[in-house]
Amino acid sequence: MTITRRGLLAGSVGALALGATSACGGVSRSGNDTGSGDKGDTGSLSTQGFGKPDDVGQARIDAFKSAYPNVQLAINEGDFDPQQFLSAVASGNAPSLVYLNRDLVGSYAAQGAIQPLDDHLASAGIKTGDYREAAIKEVTIDGKVYGVPEFYNTRNILVNGKALQEAGLTLADVSTTDWNKLHTVATKLYKASGGGIARIGFDPKLPEFLPLWAKANGADLVNADGSPNLDDPRIIEALTYALSLINEQGGWSKFKAFRDTWDLFGAGNQFVKNQAGAFPWEGWYVNVLVQSSPKLDLQSVPFTDKQGSPISFENGSAWCLPKGAKNPAAAINWMKVMTSTDTWLKAGAARQATVEKNNSIFTGLFTANPSADDQIKAKYVKPGQTGFHKAIENYYASTGYAFAIPGSKAGSEIKAAWQDAVNRALAGQQKPDAAMKQAQADASKAFSAAK
Amino acid sequence: MAVTTANVATRKLLPGGARPTRNWREIRAAYGFISLWIIGFLVFTLGPMIASLVLSFTDYNAIDAPEGVGLANYRELVTDPKVAKSLGNTLIYAVLYVPSSMVVALLLAMVLNRVGRASGFFRTVFYLPVMTPTVAVGALFLLLLNGQEGLLNRTLRLIGITGPNWTTDTNWVKPGLVITMLWSLGGTVVIYLAALRQVPKDLYEAAEMDGANAWTKFRKVTVPMISGALFFTLIVQTISALQMFDQAYTMFFGAQQNSTYSNEAALFYVIYLFQQAFRFLHMGYASALAWLLFLIILIITAVQVRVSRRFVYYEGEKD
Amino acid sequence: MSTSPPGLTAVPTTGGPGHERTEGSRPASGRRDERWWRRAPYLIVLGLASVVFTYPFVWLISASLKPRTEVFDNALIPHTLRLENFADVWDYAPVLTWVGNSAVVGLAAATTVTISSALVAFGFAYFRFPGRNVLFGLVLATMMLPQAVTMIPVYLIWNKLGLTGTQVPLWAQNIFGSAFYIFLLRQFFLGLPRELFEAARVDGSSFFGLFWRIALPLARPALAIVFVFEIQASWNDLIRPLIYLQETSLFTVPRGLKAVIDTFGNGGEQHWEIVMAASLIATLPMIIIFAVAQRHIIEGIATQGRKG
Repeated sequence: MTITRRGLLAGSVGALALGATSACGGVSRSGNDTGSGDKGDTGSLSTQGFGKPDDVGQARIDAFKSAYPNVQLAINEGDFDPQQFLSAVASGNAPSLVYLNRDLVGSYAAQGAIQPLDDHLASAGIKTGDYREAAIKEVTIDGKVYGVPEFYNTRNILVNGKALQEAGLTLADVSTTDWNKLHTVATKLYKASGGGIARIGFDPKLPEFLPLWAKANGADLVNADGSPNLDDPRIIEALTYALSLINEQGGWSKFKAFRDTWDLFGAGNQFVKNQAGAFPWEGWYVNVLVQSSPKLDLQSVPFTDKQGSPISFENGSAWCLPKGAKNPAAAINWMKVMTSTDTWLKAGAARQATVEKNNSIFTGLFTANPSADDQIKAKYVKPGQTGFHKAIENYYASTGYAFAIPGSKAGSEIKAAWQDAVNRALAGQQKPDAAMKQAQADASKAFSAAK
Repeated sequence: MAVTTANVATRKLLPGGARPTRNWREIRAAYGFISLWIIGFLVFTLGPMIASLVLSFTDYNAIDAPEGVGLANYRELVTDPKVAKSLGNTLIYAVLYVPSSMVVALLLAMVLNRVGRASGFFRTVFYLPVMTPTVAVGALFLLLLNGQEGLLNRTLRLIGITGPNWTTDTNWVKPGLVITMLWSLGGTVVIYLAALRQVPKDLYEAAEMDGANAWTKFRKVTVPMISGALFFTLIVQTISALQMFDQAYTMFFGAQQNSTYSNEAALFYVIYLFQQAFRFLHMGYASALAWLLFLIILIITAVQVRVSRRFVYYEGEKD
Repeated sequence: MSTSPPGLTAVPTTGGPGHERTEGSRPASGRRDERWWRRAPYLIVLGLASVVFTYPFVWLISASLKPRTEVFDNALIPHTLRLENFADVWDYAPVLTWVGNSAVVGLAAATTVTISSALVAFGFAYFRFPGRNVLFGLVLATMMLPQAVTMIPVYLIWNKLGLTGTQVPLWAQNIFGSAFYIFLLRQFFLGLPRELFEAARVDGSSFFGLFWRIALPLARPALAIVFVFEIQASWNDLIRPLIYLQETSLFTVPRGLKAVIDTFGNGGEQHWEIVMAASLIATLPMIIIFAVAQRHIIEGIATQGRKG
């Protein structure tokens, strides 16, 4: 983590430098802000939303630094904060780059807070065809590309082997194909203690994973044209079902309060402490588990629809160019370097070094660049028989069939609408039916208002 | 405000004479001294209030120029379910918090008033939480109030009570916040203690001679004699409760879109206003929200002043 | 204009600022009956209340020293002492920079508001000029004005001036004084003996001289109160840093702590021990100020009027 601090100190120096260059009116630049004719190898570059870089992030930052040693980097750490970002854009203090979740791209594009990249990508020789199609679809609004996708997180079900054994179940029992059976399995895995919960049996991960439950029931939350489809009866049915799982396991307020106490990233995580039976989650979490609890009896199965075919839902972050961003040419260079196959391979090597140092397992890197993923997998992912190995294999498999919520010019409003609706249903303030209908009304209004 | 002006009116003013001076030099000097405030008032209060009113009739996102929309924002206020929700939350919270903070603070102050010199130590103890930054208070109580493992419910369990899920059950989020805020009521305790110490002892002795019991003494002597302080805290606490932001925002909102899933129960009016203005850049709509809040606070304060005029006793009025 | 400090309220109680106490009356607190057993029940009640008020604070300290798995065990003495929590906070976030930023902003806010409010308060206290009552009424009225009403236009002003994204908007309004402090200081000035000023006038002192050489030095205790209150208010301010600051390196303590909570708290990694360590770091400077200026703070809230 010391890397982080150094990054931040560099950040403040860079920020000063940014003030200086903008004051000089771009002496070091060609004076053309659109990037053509400007190589983007000087000036300063500030980012927002990039969080705190880990080994993989740092290796890629280093790759950029060695490719563009004259660009001063100012990485503003901390997760993407919509309010922080929009205030910056409105104030004319936009960062050169913003790193955000792909499902937010559409709304910011519609608001004019980020710029289309097509011309930049063409002149920088970035081909959208090199990226996974689902990810590109998420950042494409009205035929224009607004972001360069980075990671590619898919969902599978992670299972606590110990809990399974205690409940007298096998891995085959944990399946989302037969919803009645899943109900029984969840209640068998669930354990109460006194007035509280001792173990959550099966966590449907509401509200975040509603798209997965909807898809399992054959419906999409967002239509291909970006319009909301939130009150589809199949979605309401899926929500009603997922909700019933929670109600069978203590009810939402207990459920959530219990979950808040989990040591998600630590040696005393919810699997080790036997506080969780099974839940769908993203692939990067395997890396967390393998480091915090290498002895864990982790098992995994794909999430399946009602017909039994595996499904998964993917999302991740993208790099975007804010309106009024200074030094766009360098920003495009950054996007290119950060997501190129060569850079990912360097990141893979850095991760491998960490793995060797910790005497651990390489749990895979899941990016929107399929060729990078393939090469990294071939090079570093060792076959094995442990549950971790199988989980890794499952996540790699799911990158092949994962779906995405299509990009929409009202993407974040639609997301807010259905998440609020699920929350109201969870809290018992509304029935799933009424909640989703209200969500559809809110989302439709936002969709038609978006320019 | 009645309180403050009442006090001001009874002051023996420093430069004698009841009538304003006609000395031109003095007038010039006086306005020189207060000119800073006048400029600040015009630029940062009056100007913005007018601007806010004008903006409330526009659609404005701070990126493009404002666009007049007539009364659309105000119509939206009426139909937006989140306005009703956040307003309801805010009023419920204020109704729960203000009286309970006054009662608890008064009880503590009355006990403190009985222990002589030892009160200094306890006063410090009660005041210490006030020094804790509000964001830290929010983070701390999010853990203390956790329904499953938190300190409060664990303690309740010791005496056989299963406490509610203060941070996740929508019905208990606001009571949970009241508990959080009650931790920082030391300022009110100090004010009440100061007021209690000013109550002349003769009054109690006279009441005792009339055969008054403790309750009668409290009702007939204590309350009237400290009514100024009670009224003042009532107004100030109400206004600040209606503007609840820091603790609720820390606990239930943030960069993560859904950091906690009960946040509609903790959606306070100023949080919603802040989100509309600075998260969605709906500056015109947020201005309308701001004016609604201003009117509500104005009305509530006016009612409180009106009602209290009948109850508040000012020693000064005898003069 | 500046946020009024939490827990801070003026004390216009009967017998409050400037009230001459009725001749012969005695304060009720100095009861003759000091026999300890009569006070014992009260002391017990206060002792219990003190535990309730202190416990969360001790819990905070304790949790900040525990490994993650023990945070919720509620033991006051950690089974395993983990000082690395503080190193982890330090590694993630530039806490020292944030503390430094808050100190700079707090000093700027407190210095400007103390001087400007004193100037204005003196104007209102010393002179009887046409329009005074109306204007002072306006001062008092602005105390009631919710910050939220002017938040957006004030933001637009700073935006026009190109100062959003800097720390200037966090304190610069204080140059124009703050209603509450003007009220407070005026009450104090009103209590000063008039003869002092008349003598100085006879000696040919200017009006500013009266303020600078007589009123200000005498008002030192009141100025200290204003200064400390504003430091605290500034240290607590969350909403303005949220609006105005975008760069991590410019964050003040509350804004930074919020960022830590967003990453490590709910919806984040649930590393509560790090959140608690950061909260403790944010709190300690205030506790130190309280330790140093406790008398000023409590007297300031309770009894500043008696000096008149």
